[in-house]
Amino acid sequence: MNGAARPLPSPTDAANLPHWVAAGKGQLMVARCDHCGVFRFPATRLCAHCRRDGAHWEEVSGQGVVESFCVFHKAYWPGFAAELPYTVLVVRLDEGVRLYSNPAHRQSCPAIGQRVRATFASAGDGMGLVLFRPDEETTP
Amino acid sequence: MAEVLSGLRANRSSLPQVVVAGVGRTPFGRLPGHDAASLGQWALSEALADCGLVHGDIDGLILNRIGDYQDFARQCGIDPRLTLTTPPHGRFSGVCIQAAVAALQTGQADRVALVYGNDGQSAGMRYAAGSYDAEQGGVWFPYGMTSPSAFHALMMRRHMHLHGSTEAQLGAIATTFRGHAALNDAAVMREPLSLAQYFESPWVCEPLRRHDHCLINDGGVAMVLTRAEQARDLRQPPVAILGVGQASSLSDSAFPPEDFWAGAMGAATRDSFRMAGLSHADIDALMIYDNFTPTVLFALEGAGYCPMGRAGPWVEEGHLGLGARYPANTSGGHLSESYMQGWSLQVEAVLQLRGAAGARQVGNAAHVHYLAAAPVCTSIVYGRVQR
Repeated sequence: MNGAARPLPSPTDAANLPHWVAAGKGQLMVARCDHCGVFRFPATRLCAHCRRDGAHWEEVSGQGVVESFCVFHKAYWPGFAAELPYTVLVVRLDEGVRLYSNPAHRQSCPAIGQRVRATFASAGDGMGLVLFRPDEETTP
Repeated sequence: MAEVLSGLRANRSSLPQVVVAGVGRTPFGRLPGHDAASLGQWALSEALADCGLVHGDIDGLILNRIGDYQDFARQCGIDPRLTLTTPPHGRFSGVCIQAAVAALQTGQADRVALVYGNDGQSAGMRYAAGSYDAEQGGVWFPYGMTSPSAFHALMMRRHMHLHGSTEAQLGAIATTFRGHAALNDAAVMREPLSLAQYFESPWVCEPLRRHDHCLINDGGVAMVLTRAEQARDLRQPPVAILGVGQASSLSDSAFPPEDFWAGAMGAATRDSFRMAGLSHADIDALMIYDNFTPTVLFALEGAGYCPMGRAGPWVEEGHLGLGARYPANTSGGHLSESYMQGWSLQVEAVLQLRGAAGARQVGNAAHVHYLAAAPVCTSIVYGRVQR
């Protein structure tokens, strides 16, 4: 991964491949515990809530709230150099899972507490990234 | 059950007193030709000379950021009866000291060497992307998310949102610690830093600027710990480790903690204060893990030096400067002295309590509190020993 022009989801990341492939089709899928129903991402063997093994992939609403954001002024991969400065969001989905992501429109200024909705961008090889835009329906 | 617990507590206070017998440091800066192990060996020789012991006296070896305990012990020619190797995470200096205290109190070792080496500058360490221990296997890299710096930037942005903290308050931390470093010959960064210069320093990950970040430099630190009764005839006045505490916030730790680690920082502090029989009012100086300026705010709030959310105005009032109520990071800390991941702060606590801190000496210092806010929080209370 080091030195990659721009890191992309890896087709060999078998554990999380369903998430990336779903994102390529415009769906937000995360893992859900077979036993207690708590959502999690990335995929892990055990559920940190009930500590049991076994999960399935499930589509979620794609709606959530911005918990925080930061703005990178330094590129750790050459492929991000042209995008500086770029924003990273922490979004808490309504289902409880947190994700790192980017705003769909890079010029938009995020706000903590803002309601957001998932949107998708191609990452090649039939995979996609999950981005977020303000949810106009719920943000006054 | 309650009787058993109270019995344990009573027994705890009757355990032998552990002291720091010796400390050693290499110069800090760029030290080409060395790796982490050789820097650690250098520091260990300094620590042994400091207290007047020799390698053969060491029967406990705890290494931090030095990967190969076998090679290290072989090169030093020692055969410890307690050996422990710990990961290169800054939060582990306190963890290592806690382990050494437990081993010494229970007689599993008599003289423990704690050794740290860091060749980060010469090795070109970046703490981000592929060269770094990838966060969750790099699953967030496609979004450009990487580095402890960004993690703390995310925490700080939320702290600003919830509590109204400001960039100028972070600047107050950076400039105060730089002022302390100016009094420390060993510090890497000694030029004065004004708040205006702080604001001129470039963004790294907004809201954090370059001056909100620790240094990356080479160096090594070592400490020798023993029990008080065995330290009487050593070269330096012993410094007591009166209390140690650890608590963690590891579940869900891939994301910023909602409480800014206050729960774990508070628990670790309370445990260490209870063991020491002391409280905030007894503390004369603070050594605060300052990998980034916001960490200082989180540590102060979690440990209870100021109310939750109020650390920003509190530091801006000047309480952390030399001559103020809680002089902090009197060496300059990680921001200005040296990035020794907690270890050089431990040494500074010892020097203050020996009365050997020179121009930056805190007058009549009797108790110094080391505190680190991180996914593993640690708290150590050091005390001066009269002899």
